[in-house]
Formats: sequence, C-alpha cells, structure tokens
Amino acid sequence: MRAFHSGMILPARLIRFVLPALLVILAGLVLVALATGDMPLSAARVWAGLRHGDSVAATIVWQMRMPRILSAILVGAALSSAGLVMQAYFRNSLANPGLLGVSSGGAAGAVIAIAAGWASVSLWFLPLSAIAGAVAATGGVLILARHGASTERLLLAGVALNALLGAVTSYVLSQYIGLYERNAQILFWLLGGLEDRTWEHVAIALPIVAAAALLWPLGRSMDLMSLGVSEAQSLGVDVRRVRRQMLALATVLTAVATAVAGAVGFVGLVVPHILRLLVGPEHRRLVPLSLVGGAVFVLACDIAGRMAGGLRLGIITSLIGAPFFLWLLRRLP
Amino acid sequence: MNFLDLKDATVPGRLDNVTLGLPRGKLIGLVGPNGAGKSTLLRVAAGILPAEGSVAWNGRLLAGISPLERARCTAWVPQEAHFEFGFSVRSVVAQGRYAHGDDESGVDETLARFGLAALAGRPVNRLSGGERARVLLARAIVTEAPLQLWDEPLAPLDPRHRLEVLVLARELAQSGSTVFLSLHDLSLASSLDILAVLCETRLRAIGSPGEILTPDLLLDVFGVRASTAPSLNLELP
Repeated sequence: MRAFHSGMILPARLIRFVLPALLVILAGLVLVALATGDMPLSAARVWAGLRHGDSVAATIVWQMRMPRILSAILVGAALSSAGLVMQAYFRNSLANPGLLGVSSGGAAGAVIAIAAGWASVSLWFLPLSAIAGAVAATGGVLILARHGASTERLLLAGVALNALLGAVTSYVLSQYIGLYERNAQILFWLLGGLEDRTWEHVAIALPIVAAAALLWPLGRSMDLMSLGVSEAQSLGVDVRRVRRQMLALATVLTAVATAVAGAVGFVGLVVPHILRLLVGPEHRRLVPLSLVGGAVFVLACDIAGRMAGGLRLGIITSLIGAPFFLWLLRRLP
Repeated sequence: MNFLDLKDATVPGRLDNVTLGLPRGKLIGLVGPNGAGKSTLLRVAAGILPAEGSVAWNGRLLAGISPLERARCTAWVPQEAHFEFGFSVRSVVAQGRYAHGDDESGVDETLARFGLAALAGRPVNRLSGGERARVLLARAIVTEAPLQLWDEPLAPLDPRHRLEVLVLARELAQSGSTVFLSLHDLSLASSLDILAVLCETRLRAIGSPGEILTPDLLLDVFGVRASTAPSLNLELP
C-alpha cells in the first residue's frame, strides 16, 4: 500500500519549501482573482487600480474584488485549520469542522434571520445571526455532553444537534415555499458563496486572524492530543486546558467562516488531508500550512466558480471535495 | 521514603481500597488475573485516572503537581496505543521530551538502545505490535522520569527483547528509579525485587517473589498448580 495517512510522499528535504510555494501560489491566485471577472482587467490596469491611478479599475479592484479575495482567504484558512483541529481532537482523520453542529447552527441562525426579514434590515444581521446560531449550537453540544465531555459523548451530541438544526432549517425553508424571493435568498446562502462580499464582511472575518494566531503555538500539544487523552496527559499536556482551547478555536473559526460565506463544505476535510500526505502528521508544520493551504484552495475554487459562469463556492468545493472523500474511504485500511 | 504511596485508592468497580508504597530503586512487578485491576492501578498511580483516596509521589500529593512536572516525574507506557496519524518512530520517541521543552535530549541514544535506529523514519502505524511496544518503552525512557509505570510492556515482545527490557529496567532501578510493571509471565516475575498481587480489584499480597509466589496463592489467585520441574531457562548471551 502506498503512503496513506501514514508516510509522507514528499522527500524530507523538500518539506520546508511547501509553505513558501503555497504563499507564491496564493499571491499568484490573488493577481488572477484581481484581473478576472465580468470586466477583465489587464495586469497594467490592475496595477494602476491598486495605486488608484485608474479610477474605474480602482473601484473594481478595491471595492469589488479585494473584499471578495480577502474573504476567500480568511474563510479558507479558517475552515481548513478548524478541520485540522477537529481531526486532532477526535483523533480521526475524517473529522470535519461541522461535526459538532457549528455549521448547521450557523445555517439555522442565518436562515431564521432571512426568513424573519432581519437580514434585509442591516448587512450585519445575517452574519451575526449565523454566529449566534453557531455559538448556541456549540453551547448546546457542550451542555449535552457535560461531565468531562468524553469524545464519544461529544460526537453523539453533535450528531443529534446536526439532525435537529437540519430539521429547523428545512422547516423554515418549507414555510416560505410560497415566498420565492426569501426562499431564493435562503437557498443562495445555504449553497455558500462569496459573491458581493464587502469590507464589512472582511471586518466580520477578522476574528479568524486572532484565532489563527492563538492556534499557532498549539501545534505541539495537538500532536500529543492526537494520541489520546491519557497519553497526552502522561506526557505533560494540560489536557483540560488544551481541549478547551481547541474546541473554542475550532468553533470561532467555523462560526465566523460560516457567517461570512455560508455553508461551504469539505474544505476542512480535504486540505488537511492533502497536506498530511505531503508533509506528514506533525501539527507544528500543519497549522501554518493548513491556514495558507485552505486560503489557496478556497480562492482557487472561487476563481474556478467565477470562470464557470458563477457556480457557487459551496458547490465547487463539494464537487472537488466529495469525490476526494470517496477516494479516501476506498483507501482506508 | 517511598517513591509512590497509594492510600485507599478506589475506582468504583475497578479498584478497591488499594494501599501500597513503592520504594525507590526497586524493580516491582504487578501480577493478577485478567480484569483484576492492574491497568487501572497503573493509571491511578500515573495520575491519569482520578481515584478516591490519595496518591503521593515522593511524599507530595499528586493533585498539587502541575501537568508538566508530573510528566517529568513519571512515565506511563500504555498497554496498547492507537496511532491515527503516522508519526515517525523518531518523532514518537521525541514526544517523551515534551515536558522538557522538546529538547530531544537522549532520543537518538534511546532509539539505538531499543534497536529502533533503522526504523527511525518509519511511520509508527506501520510497525508490528512488538516494534510499537518498543517505541512506547523508548518514549518512556527518554522522559528520564524516576517513576516508570509500564502496563504489560513484555507481552508483545519476543524472548530476546523481553530479556533486554528487563535488563534495562534493572539498570534503571539500580540508578535510583522505581520501575513498576504489570506482567503475566510468572517465571519472569519471580526475578523482580518485589511483587504486588491484585485479585478481583483488591491488593491480595505484596512482598518478595519468594514469599508471594507460593503454591497456595497461585492456586487461589490464578487457578494454576505450580511445579518446580526443570523448565526452559532463557538468558542473554
């Protein structure tokens, strides 16, 4: 059997080039994303727009494309690193950020906000309702799984909550079947996407930067947590504190990403997996790589979706993610 | 002073009022039938399973010791380990230095000592059971913790590696550490300094192997009849 979530396929001497390579790819993708769209811009006009030398180009670059690009980068980094954290937490490479109901809580919150008409009152209401829903869902899981919150209990509570919140979302959706416009808005949101993102959305996504910074030093502890609680504890990890931190950070990252981009699937599963195959399982390496790798994946998917005539981000990531997941299942020992 | 003191340690249904003290510099065996509570006792002693009663290391109550300091005082080898992710053998052994700021001190020497140098780059989830058991032992040794708690470290090992591990354990004890290990092989157990016998979650007896491994106790606790007929005796060349 070839390397499957065990060995790495890159020779050790190449591993340190992965992060610079990803950063170069990300920079390239940013330039491509600035130039492509309904109104294609030449490299010269992008440059002029960036320096405010060309007012039309400047508007397109700074008001339309840049917020969307930054949203894609932040959302990708958040979902991918949240997936990495969940996989270490549950010691399962198939864990994903939505496992504990954070995403479906966010979806339920957003759908209720749209259905109730709050979303049209202010730009801030939809994302804030999504965050409120996500946080409520996590709170629900933690309460359901109290008393030390064993892994199995957390998982089962997550399964139950996901089902419950899915039902809430479907119920709301079914109640507005006649109201085409609101239903379309809900559906639009549930498909996940980065259209019309503004600087306000970038501002909403800023907690992702803080969470990523807090995640950075946890890499080594996550290595040990992935061995199991007893082993981590015997090797000196403050298990209760690190578990709390991991859950809190994964929740914030997922909730904020969901609030900004809607329900975007599979990023948190695919990106950490590919990176683990490339560079091995050590989280000190994987944390920075998953942040940048997730940004690259989501930005590339968003560009691909735009080029394919406005295919939604959530559809593209799943179109790539789901076949990968099936391939993975087939390769499981 | 004892290195480890358990007083009325109780885990409901798994361990019942166990009081014992383990002196410094001894090689101590823990024997008992399946389900007697050996793993539970070792986990309680390692401070990773909360228990009623008290656990003290070197006279200090376990509850008052920080996680990092605990890891520098004691090393625990689990009976079996599940590695979801394929860390290299070397990086698993180096995890033993987490509580020492990941300084990697002694990692390569210990790998060599356990015959693992050639496997250092191999993913740990692609090793045989015996190789993995040696990796876990190497990680425990690398911690340099003076209290070593090993849960059936010998069971997956071949005869030669068993003897090597016992020699190593003896060296650790001679250098002042306390090695407390559970095992099923009573003839190996008879070569240790002290034996503790657990039976049905209670401490049945503790003392030198000569006092403990009497025909009566063997029949009563293990349901086996002892004979002193000539047997195969293995030692390192």
